[in-house]
Amino acid sequence: MEKSIKRYWPVFILPTMAAFMIGFVVPFLEGIYLSFCDFTTIKDASFVGLENYAKAISDKTFTHAFSFTTVFAIVTLVLINVLAFAVALALTQKIKGTNIFRTVFFMPNLIGGIVLGYVWQLIFDGILGKFDLALKLNAKFGFWGLVILICWQQIGYMMIVYIAGLQAIPGSLNEAAMIDGANARQRLFKITIPMMMPSITICTFLTITNSFKLFDQNLSLTSGEPMHQTEMMALNIYDTFYGHVGFEGVGQAKAVIFFIIVVAIGLIQLRATRDKEVQQ
Amino acid sequence: MKNKKSGIFATLFFTVISILFVAPIFVVLMNSFKRKAFISLSPFSMPDEKSYAGLENYVTSITKYEFVKAVGWTLFITVLSVIVILVCCSMCAWYITRVKNKLTKLIYLLCVFSMVIPFQMVMFTLSGTADSLHLNTPWGIVIVYLGFGAGLAVFMFCGFVKSIPIEIEEAAMIDGCNPIKTFFSVVLPIMKPTYISVGILEAMWIWNDFLLPYLVLDIKKFKTISIVVQYMKGSYGRVDMGAIMACLIMAIIPVIVFYLSCQKYIIKGVAAGAVKG
Amino acid sequence: MNKKRLMAAGLAVIMTASMVTGCGSSDSKKESKTDAKGSVYYLNFKPEADDQWQELAKEYTDETGVKVEVVTAASNQYETTLKSEMGKSKAPTLFQVNGPVGLASWKKYCYDLSGSDVYKQLTSDDFALKENDAVYGIGYAIESYGIIYNKKLLKKAGYSQDDIKGFDDLKKVVEDITSRKDKLGFSAFTSAGMDGSSDWRFKTHLANLPIYYEYQKDKIDNTDKIKGTYLDNYRNIWNLYINNATCSPKQLSTKTADDATSEFVTEQAVFYQNGTWAYADIADVGDENLGMLPIYVGVKGEENQGLCTGTENYWCVNKNASKDDIQATLDFMNWCVTSKTGTKAMCGAANAMPSGADGMGFVIPFKGNLKSENPLVNVANDYVKEGKTPVSWNFSTMPSEQWKNDLGSALTTYASKQTDANWAKVKSAFVDGWAKEAKASK
Repeated sequence: MEKSIKRYWPVFILPTMAAFMIGFVVPFLEGIYLSFCDFTTIKDASFVGLENYAKAISDKTFTHAFSFTTVFAIVTLVLINVLAFAVALALTQKIKGTNIFRTVFFMPNLIGGIVLGYVWQLIFDGILGKFDLALKLNAKFGFWGLVILICWQQIGYMMIVYIAGLQAIPGSLNEAAMIDGANARQRLFKITIPMMMPSITICTFLTITNSFKLFDQNLSLTSGEPMHQTEMMALNIYDTFYGHVGFEGVGQAKAVIFFIIVVAIGLIQLRATRDKEVQQ
Repeated sequence: MKNKKSGIFATLFFTVISILFVAPIFVVLMNSFKRKAFISLSPFSMPDEKSYAGLENYVTSITKYEFVKAVGWTLFITVLSVIVILVCCSMCAWYITRVKNKLTKLIYLLCVFSMVIPFQMVMFTLSGTADSLHLNTPWGIVIVYLGFGAGLAVFMFCGFVKSIPIEIEEAAMIDGCNPIKTFFSVVLPIMKPTYISVGILEAMWIWNDFLLPYLVLDIKKFKTISIVVQYMKGSYGRVDMGAIMACLIMAIIPVIVFYLSCQKYIIKGVAAGAVKG
Repeated sequence: MNKKRLMAAGLAVIMTASMVTGCGSSDSKKESKTDAKGSVYYLNFKPEADDQWQELAKEYTDETGVKVEVVTAASNQYETTLKSEMGKSKAPTLFQVNGPVGLASWKKYCYDLSGSDVYKQLTSDDFALKENDAVYGIGYAIESYGIIYNKKLLKKAGYSQDDIKGFDDLKKVVEDITSRKDKLGFSAFTSAGMDGSSDWRFKTHLANLPIYYEYQKDKIDNTDKIKGTYLDNYRNIWNLYINNATCSPKQLSTKTADDATSEFVTEQAVFYQNGTWAYADIADVGDENLGMLPIYVGVKGEENQGLCTGTENYWCVNKNASKDDIQATLDFMNWCVTSKTGTKAMCGAANAMPSGADGMGFVIPFKGNLKSENPLVNVANDYVKEGKTPVSWNFSTMPSEQWKNDLGSALTTYASKQTDANWAKVKSAFVDGWAKEAKASK
């Protein structure tokens, strides 16, 4: 069968691959080239070697953005997944109104982007203002503000994924364990979680990459204030393009470094969780 | 007995959480009826006589900022892109899972890579490439979206295809179906839930995207909702918050209507797609 | 088997064909355009003047048949837009830079305007960006800023402009108003909003004063190493702004210039730092109630100081555009500053546009400049007539956007907690930041 499919590649993969070339591969390779160049627009690039990389690494705001993003990614990874998992567990029990709750929790997923940051800024500042505080004055508020915003947006989606995973676990497994005398905790850690590994893989992968790529919400909620302290990688790169004259190449170099880091993390994470998956 | 009690408690608990969850949307709705000066002054108070603006914000955003046109283009781009992404990527994913060689493996890896690429890395080069190929129209941008969104879609489809028993396809082929017919009559129906799952992810992304359409589209002619909203933040701190709120409400409504009308499939889809992933 | 292959190939062709339709359609459009000689594509920086430019462009097309397209960049996106658009095949033919620093990135793209008609219309070389004999940019709008005040309210508090001749007077008046705030029913200053969209009023415009005086003292007009000689004056005026305002200094980071404007219009405060461009927003106060004070910071001899006057908007023509397009662009620019319609639209206020809409209300540094109907502009002119020295705009020499942003953050932090340690941060952002950014941008 493989052979007969193989000949049909023009139908099956050509359209996607052609677009993939235009939309990703070509700009990506060009981007790598530009990271070694001095340029204002893509038309006037001149090669400068590793200079941009040197500047990128010696930029303190960049290293800070990296650690800030890492901490942020870890915190949201744990929070989103634990909460979504817990909510999923609860909403698969016999509770009245589970359908409504699922809908409500899923809703924030449907709206998003830059505007959401403005809305939350309004809310946070409205609350903090009562105590004569403000979001942009304190990096801690900024950090937790971002965390709350992202949790609000993503918990619903992950919850649905987990609910589906839970429903796919055969009831007989749990019953058998109960007969063997396993308590609720043992059942959770010995049966439910191992059986849920595929869902956990996909959810952790999505949350981590989302956190690392976060841009819109960061820009509109804190825009990095105060003093770059809540600036994440993507925003830092974006600012580098416009912050100084002639720093376009540095921004591009930062993007390449950033890309390598994210790929490494993504791959390690995929490998780590995939190994734990139980063959069904 | 004990169970019932804790059930009521849980319902109460989740009701409170749900209210907190929709509160931000409610804040937006409330503020969309206020005059802009009052929005940042007192974001949580209901519009009163002094601050009530009636439908003014809605009228402004429709007449002054051509909001309806923006909704049209956004809808057009989103629907078309999602359809193209779903069809092309599912075919591609099926092919690369069923045909095993170095090339297909490479494609798969490239797709995973592309998922984690920050858009900032390719924004200028992408807008340059798209421009030189004249993809700066709502039709052309579909190709850009197919290319840039292929990673996630192919990745998720691949996960699902792996779980489809190959025997069904083999049976179809033996019955004389060519691969194209096999795909559309056998594989596609099985993958329906995954289509929904991937479709939502891609649709939400495209619907809310700002920078990509802003840089790629011919901004003289086409604006999407996100672009229009960004224009409401004028320079020098002039922010038409009222119009932004009104726009947000109007942008959410079609999404919510769509969601409520097919929520059964969506929830099923998200679930099915992801579990097998 | 062969049939199937054929079908496969056919399908592939259809799919790829549907993918390239985007190409096809725009290609054909391009061809039909070539019969008109040259066209203009203006990437406008000022969103508040977008409507007027669109109308002016249409007017010009109706009159001459030359196509003019005006695009205004979305909020805070001018550089992104310019970078992306300049890389495209149909790049803007007319764009803007904000001064010498902006020019540094775009010089490679700037057409030398020294032989153009529009340059000959310029009244003074001060408004051109020149390097040796080449003219890369032409300022098209002169603006002034200072402390706008409400005459009615100031009178109510028992003062008039004659009582304010320097920083000490200003301080006395302001602090007196603050002490009687509840009785009077208004504050001295509007909120000094430091939201990212609005902090330019202080990190850029107010910061111009210490830079201006330092340049004056050292007799220079640019530097890689600022000394910060007048930073204490900067601190004094900043303290005055934030501690006598309508809101607590801790709330400034959430406030926008829009908030300040509405506070001024609703008569919650007497003083409001802004410029001539703000007239349309505050006209409700009534022309007879609007006055403007120089920003006094307590430097010796400041009684002769006028308003801060200059330009941050320079026109540049894209060198890489086709010859026809360049010519069309130059003609359009010249038309804007010489024709009746053009000058009226650029200088006029109410009903100045052909359609009856409001004009842009600029003062233009060209021979065709019309007398302004903007009372704030007239105030600025009066200062010059009285022999006061206008303060030049030196913020175009600020080393980078980054510098401004860092200074803005430091000012916000200081406002929330006014300690010497926090002021040291402002100082460091100002002095060390300048040296660092100037070096980085080389």
